[in-house]
Formats: sequence, C-alpha cells, structure tokens
Amino acid sequence: MSDHVTFSTIDWIIVFAYLAGSVVIGLLVKRYIASMTDYVVAGRALKTYLGLATMIGTEMGLVTVMYSAQKGFTGGFAAFHIAVVAAIVTLVVGLTGFIVVPLRRLEVMTIPEFYEKRFSRGVRVFGGIVLAFAGILNMGMFLKAGSWFVTGITGLESVTYLNIVMTVLLALVLFYTILGGMVSVVVTDYIQFVVLAVGIFVASAMALSTLGWDNIVNTVHELKGEAGFNPFHEEGFGAGYVVWMIFLGLVSCAIWQTAVLRACSAESVKVVKRIYIWSSVGFLIRFLVPYFWGICAFVFLYQHPDLKAVFFPETGKISSELSLQAMPVFLSIILPAGLLGLVTAAMLAAFMSTHDSYLLCWSSVLTQDVLAPILGDRMTTKARIVWTRIFIFLIGVFLLVWGLWYAMQQDLWDYMAITGAIYSTGAFAVLLAGLYWKRASTVGAYGALVCGFVALLGLKPLQTWLIIHLNLESLVAGLGFQDTVGSEWVGLFTIALAVTVMFVGSLLFPDRRKEAA
Amino acid sequence: MDFWLNLWTLTLIVGLGLFAVIAIVVAIGGAFDIRSLFRSLNAQHNRREP
Repeated sequence: MSDHVTFSTIDWIIVFAYLAGSVVIGLLVKRYIASMTDYVVAGRALKTYLGLATMIGTEMGLVTVMYSAQKGFTGGFAAFHIAVVAAIVTLVVGLTGFIVVPLRRLEVMTIPEFYEKRFSRGVRVFGGIVLAFAGILNMGMFLKAGSWFVTGITGLESVTYLNIVMTVLLALVLFYTILGGMVSVVVTDYIQFVVLAVGIFVASAMALSTLGWDNIVNTVHELKGEAGFNPFHEEGFGAGYVVWMIFLGLVSCAIWQTAVLRACSAESVKVVKRIYIWSSVGFLIRFLVPYFWGICAFVFLYQHPDLKAVFFPETGKISSELSLQAMPVFLSIILPAGLLGLVTAAMLAAFMSTHDSYLLCWSSVLTQDVLAPILGDRMTTKARIVWTRIFIFLIGVFLLVWGLWYAMQQDLWDYMAITGAIYSTGAFAVLLAGLYWKRASTVGAYGALVCGFVALLGLKPLQTWLIIHLNLESLVAGLGFQDTVGSEWVGLFTIALAVTVMFVGSLLFPDRRKEAA
Repeated sequence: MDFWLNLWTLTLIVGLGLFAVIAIVVAIGGAFDIRSLFRSLNAQHNRREP
C-alpha cells in the first residue's frame, strides 16, 4: 500500500508546525488556572461560540472520523441514518433541555455528582467507578485508530513506526492537558475546530471531483444493492440497529460525560440550549462527512488496479483493521502535497481535541467522584489538581498498553457503542428516574448501574469465548443469529433491563429517609 | 431505492451547507469568546485574591 502514498516534506512541515503550536498554547494558558473549577469547567465561563467550537471539536475526533469512515466503507449510504438520527436527537435535547438543563441548574460538574445530590454518596462513588471504567475502556482504541490513520496516510507501515506515533501523539496531548486543564482544552479545541472545518471541505471537494457523484452511487448500488441505501434492509443494518442508534444519539449528546461537561461549563441554561441546538448540525456533520469519505474510499479502492486485491479479497471478508485503513489510504492518494499535510494536521487536531477532553473528563471523574468522596472531602484544591494530573498520566499508560494488546474483531463503532453502554444504559435509567420521578430510590439506582455490565457481552471476543466455553451455540442459533448475538441487540436488552431494575427496585425498596420526610 | 438516494443526497448537501455557515460564524464569534473567557478568569482570580 505504501507505494501509492505521496506524503511529502511540505506535508511533514505543516503537521509539525501545527503540533508545536498546540503545545505552546497549552503552556501559555496555564497561568489562568487557579482553582478546580477553572481546571475542570473553565471557571463556568464558556460562551456560545466557544462552547460550540469545543463541543464539535471534541465530538468530531479522529476516532470518530475513522470509525465513521469504516461504517461508510462497510455500510454504504445506509450508514447516513446514524448521522441523521444523531442530529435529530441533539436538536430535540436542545429544544426541550431534556436531561442537560436540569443538570446545569443543579450546578454539578459530573453526572456522579448528581447521583450524590439525588441519591447517596455511595451511588456517586459506584457510579463514578462505572463511568470511569466504561469511559476508559471506550477510549481504549483511540490511540490505535489514530496511529492507523497516521501510518495509513503517511505510508509508514512498520509496527515500530506505529508504536512511535502512538507514543508521541499521547505525550503531546498529556503535556498540554496536564498543564492547562479545561482552559487549555477549549482554546486548542477552537483552533482545531477552524483547521478541521477547512480540512473537511477540502477533502470532500477533492473526493467528489476525483470520483464523480454518479460513479459513486452506481458503484455502491452495483456492489451492495438496496442494502447500501436502505438502513432497514435486513442484509444491511436492519431495524434493531436503527433503534439502537436512536438511543446512542441520546447518549452521545445528553448522557455521555464529555458532552455533559460542556453543558455544565456553559454560562447559563439559555447558553446550554443554544449550544445543543446548533451542535445538532455538528453532530450531523461529524458522522456524515466521514461516512462519505468511507463510501468514496470503497468506490475508489474497488476501481483501483492494484489495491482492489488488497481491500476486496476473493474470500469476501476483510479484517476490521484493513477496513479502517481504507479512508486514510484513499486520501493519501487523491490529495496533492500541501493539502495532504493540511488535512493530516486537521485530523491530528481532531485526534488531540478528543483525547484531551476525554483524558480530562475521566481523570476528573476519578478525582471528584471516587477519591474525594471516599476521603470525605478533605482534599484541598491543590491535591485534587495533582490527583487529576496523576490519573491523566495513568490513563495514558493504559491506553498505550490496551491499544497494543486488544484484538477488536468487530467494527470500531460497534466496539465504542458497546463499551460506552456499560455506563450509558445504567446512567440513562438513573438520570431518567432521578430527574423526572420522585420515587426513584438508591437501591434502584445501584441495580440499574450494575445492569450496565451486561453490555460487556456485546464485545465480540468475550461473547465468542463464552459461547464456546459454555456450549451456547444452539441457543444463539435458536435466537436466529449466525455466530454471535449482534451488539445492537445486547445493547437494547441492557437498556430494557436497566430501566426495569431502576423502576422495580425503586418501588420495592424506597428510600426510607425520604419516605419519612 | 430512489427515496433513500434522494434523502441522502439532500442530507449531504444541506449538512455541508449548514456546517459551512456555522464554521464561519463560530470561527469569528469564538475568537471574541476566548478574549471574554480570559477576562472572566482574570476577574475571578482577582476576586479570590483582593
């Protein structure tokens, strides 16, 4: 593949100049950090435009681009339904303020903090552990996906290069996030948003002019048929998957901690709603554009005389790793020198803006919601910042190890969805009941959070291992599945279970203190 | 198939068009917001250390 890649010196200069600039900014804004509120939620002083830039910058990470391009490659135009659903759900949340407005009014920094205000300190600590566990596991493939992009687009195919790239990228993000906290994150996110927007338009225009719209549509139709366009077609995604995507649309904008952190950082409730209404376009684009690039890569590589044999083997199936590399390889061939560097810088911008926010998010959850409550709030502001920085570093080390070790065996998007579901399914039930139902109880909340771990069964390596060792082949076949149960069905089952346990648990075991009051 | 193709074509055109407008507005407005953020953080800092 590397023979076809054209990454030149000018592209490397653009990329290095951009990375160095990000680090300098991280150093410059450090002087504005005086408290934990400054460090974690930028002093709650985020206004609409900056909030929007940082929300889109964070949510449209390189990992998003990679897994979405992979979905476009494997699913065709039908994958667009995920983008449309995400946009509609975000718009509805913005218009109604569902979940995010009550959270902002309570002035919490994290969702587990809400658990304590509504239920008990124990629920906060347990919820914090579940959230951090799911979040860090969810982040586990970020570094590897980023490195696949860099090695795919630059043609550096050796494993040594892959490891070096992973380590350097991680070190850069750790450096400026540890120093500057949320202030550094929002400022670099803004710059990354601008670079990213330019990159999106340049790459999309080049892809379209290279292939032609009619050629793209006809090739997808020829190879995938109706399933390449209709998301409800059973040979493609199917109705169950679409319903799962509606839930994930809600999770990504209103329940996932990194998005909620933006709502909590906003200046007022009015700003929260405005950010969400406008972010719906960002949520649409963050999926739509990479899907389009993935579809273009699919068409281009199928028509390429040499690469067709690599990406379309006669066996008919390609590995998850290879389908992930299709989009960067495609871009590296069609983009001219200079533009290639600009788009790579844009993608690295996307990588860093997501990584910094996620690192800060999970480390602050561990400090604020696990460590501080256990120590009985005796931690000083200085100690909290120090511990947050330590957790950022430790999570970084985990990402490096997990990224090198774990074999995915499924689409990256499905891995992300199911690891996120460990937290989001339980959290959805607890937030829904906790915010909108007076009788929600502590026992119900514990039960719902525990149910989230059922989602682990959606991880293909784990499910395959269980099916083989527990002789469950006939059960799986009896349920109408081929080898394994689809992750969307595991996810939907987990939501239903968590909601049921939350409500039944609350009715059977009401909070005595509140009952007496 | 025509229904889905038309829907996805329209979605792509509208999505990119809206994002172009938002990108320009946010790029300009965000620069002013950064200035305002630093002023606000400085003011909070000064209030804590009179």
